[in-house]
Amino acid sequence: MIIYKTFFKVLNKCKFPVILYTVLLLFFAGFNMSSNDKSMDFTAEKPEIMVINHDKEEGLTKNFIEYLKQNTVIKDINNDEESIKDALFYRDVQYIIYIPENFGEKFLDGKNPQIEVKSTSDYLSTLANMIVERYMKVAKNYVGSTSDNEELFSKINETLGKKAEVEVTSKMDTSTISRLTRYFNFSAYSFIAISIYVICTIMLKFNEDKIAKRTAIGSIDYKKINLKLLIANSGFCFAIWGIYFIFARILIGEIAFSEYGLYYALNSLIFVLSTVTLAFLVSKFVKNKNTITAFVNIIGLGSSFLCGVFVPMEFIPDFVLKIAHVLPAYWFVSNNELIGSTEVFAGEFFKNFCINGAVVLGFALVFFIATNIVSKKKVEK
Amino acid sequence: MFFKNFKYTFKALLRNRGLVFWTIAFPLIMALFFKMAFSGIEEKETFDAINVAVVSNEYFENDGILKDVFRTLSDPENEDQVFNTSYVEEGEAKELLQDGKIDGYVVFSENAPKVFVTKNGVNQTIFKFVVEEIVQSSDTADIIQAKVEKMFKEQNSGGFWNTLGMIFAMMQENRSNIKDISDANLSYMTIEFYTLVAMACLYGGILGAVSISWCLANMTNVGKRLSLTPVSKIKLVLSSALAGYVIQLFGIVLLLILTIGVLKVDFGNKIPQIVILSVAGSMAGLTMGIAVTTGIKASENAKTGILIGVTMLWCFFAGMMGVVMKYVIDKNIPIINKINPANMITDGFYALYYYDTLDRYMTNIVGLCIFSAIMLAIAIFSLRKQKYESL
Repeated sequence: MIIYKTFFKVLNKCKFPVILYTVLLLFFAGFNMSSNDKSMDFTAEKPEIMVINHDKEEGLTKNFIEYLKQNTVIKDINNDEESIKDALFYRDVQYIIYIPENFGEKFLDGKNPQIEVKSTSDYLSTLANMIVERYMKVAKNYVGSTSDNEELFSKINETLGKKAEVEVTSKMDTSTISRLTRYFNFSAYSFIAISIYVICTIMLKFNEDKIAKRTAIGSIDYKKINLKLLIANSGFCFAIWGIYFIFARILIGEIAFSEYGLYYALNSLIFVLSTVTLAFLVSKFVKNKNTITAFVNIIGLGSSFLCGVFVPMEFIPDFVLKIAHVLPAYWFVSNNELIGSTEVFAGEFFKNFCINGAVVLGFALVFFIATNIVSKKKVEK
Repeated sequence: MFFKNFKYTFKALLRNRGLVFWTIAFPLIMALFFKMAFSGIEEKETFDAINVAVVSNEYFENDGILKDVFRTLSDPENEDQVFNTSYVEEGEAKELLQDGKIDGYVVFSENAPKVFVTKNGVNQTIFKFVVEEIVQSSDTADIIQAKVEKMFKEQNSGGFWNTLGMIFAMMQENRSNIKDISDANLSYMTIEFYTLVAMACLYGGILGAVSISWCLANMTNVGKRLSLTPVSKIKLVLSSALAGYVIQLFGIVLLLILTIGVLKVDFGNKIPQIVILSVAGSMAGLTMGIAVTTGIKASENAKTGILIGVTMLWCFFAGMMGVVMKYVIDKNIPIINKINPANMITDGFYALYYYDTLDRYMTNIVGLCIFSAIMLAIAIFSLRKQKYESL
């Protein structure tokens, strides 16, 4: 009992970092997500744009802006050069249109007035460009076909209003599932940081020269002490796993308790096993408190940046992902992505899930063996 | 005495491995991580042809115009290529969509074309948009035909070549007259690296804090002994601070060499201004460290904790944990970033990179000087009060 008592005493001193890494998880993965869109109908993406209109808002210009309002989100930003430049740089808008003076009038006269635009060259700005071009093309075709402007505008609008039918074939609630994937991906950082911080702090205390000598001459067998420490440390990490799972249910919803949630939970359970064994291995090299934070940051941040914990895997360069193969977090994140993209849990899924899981377990085994070798060498010394 | 104290402080600081790790090595390691994680983001965000499929049914195969449209839109030689199109049977299209190999497929028939996708998204929207354009263009085809016929009639006297020239001119005119005047240097991920330099500048304050606390009688035994010596306090403090500053600048130079020289992060090409900003930023960090260590009565660990905590909070507002945060604060609560030294450093680099003029850059330099002066005033005020009757 005395071992557990001391364990909790030291654990109490670690509460601040444990809370910090948990808050980070809740903040970045829990709340920092777009709203939950459960609709099964197709919703078109709307680029965010800015319109700087030097023309009078009437006639064709008005009709053009109305069309833009329907197909994009027009943002209201201060009309000074600095605000405009900043808005484009930070992607507050993806596209800016400068409508010149007398644009509408010239256009209706059959001239081809120039419009200036600024864009970020990403997918949404390409869409914005298509929207603008489309209007110009259709309007130009109708110009001259009638002398009544109102009739002209209604013809333009009628043509532009023709839609294609879209069917969303998947019945998956992709938005919620991707939130859950993101949550469990980010949890890798918290698991690594907390396991290493807590286990190293506790082992450092128990391995302090004076304390180690005192326990060595005490009546409790050192094997028993080690076993109890192993149980207590692992128990704590698995408790954190359980709490994070409950947070997932509270933050993201019932899907955490569905079949998806089951696989995410199983995957993270295997991952926690690897972080616990890794933390025990690291604890063998820790000499003081400063080195603990250094290890936490290098291993925690390193794994997270390289393996797609902070930045989605699809955005990470291939050579980085190749390097990341040597880290358990890579296989953990791969499995999360696999679960998130699966609609039917069957054959191919099980095969890949088991391979990724087995690699993480393999890491745990390697860490466990390495820890024993290092301890043995230390005892021999 | 000035150089003696400088020398010993310099050596002692370098021997403190934890200190050297956090102030010099940690920013370097973070720069490598940033490069690895962030370098692909902008590349993947830049528009690239979207993978789609067209079901090659009888209707599609018999419609020459439709086939032409898709061939043009999917031509890799075409500058405006939008799609990589596969022409397959419906069953195969379904499979491709299921496996995530395409973003959507379309089935053309006598009725309106039908687009199949698995989820909402930009790629899917663009696909739908282009298919709609094809539907809409059938509407305007009649108009064009009428215009051409009219032209034929009017220009009949001018002969065949003249009419052809008119049609060509009309087609040219029908091209949208859109001029792209986008600025160069739109890479927003550079902000991450600027905040990293800002972090390194402010973390350097820990060096100043530690070196000054060695001169303080209420902090260390060395401080007690030093305050018994007949050396003027200003000499001690200045030489200690200078030792910290030199190491700090060394760290910043290493970081700039790594980020600009090796990792090829774009800081613009105004090297002298970059150096001045780094020197001013480091000064802000140093004076902040001195102000905290002299102005706050707490243990050395607590003071270091305060410095790290404050630095991280400021870096958070400056956009380190998400570039958008800087913009949100700048736009909505600008006062926070006006007094935030991490943001002044970040914004200074941003201004050098993105703006042609130096006004915004100068505002940040002046801001950093004012911040340093205030911190220094706090430090001098706190030091002046320290008198001991007994030690």
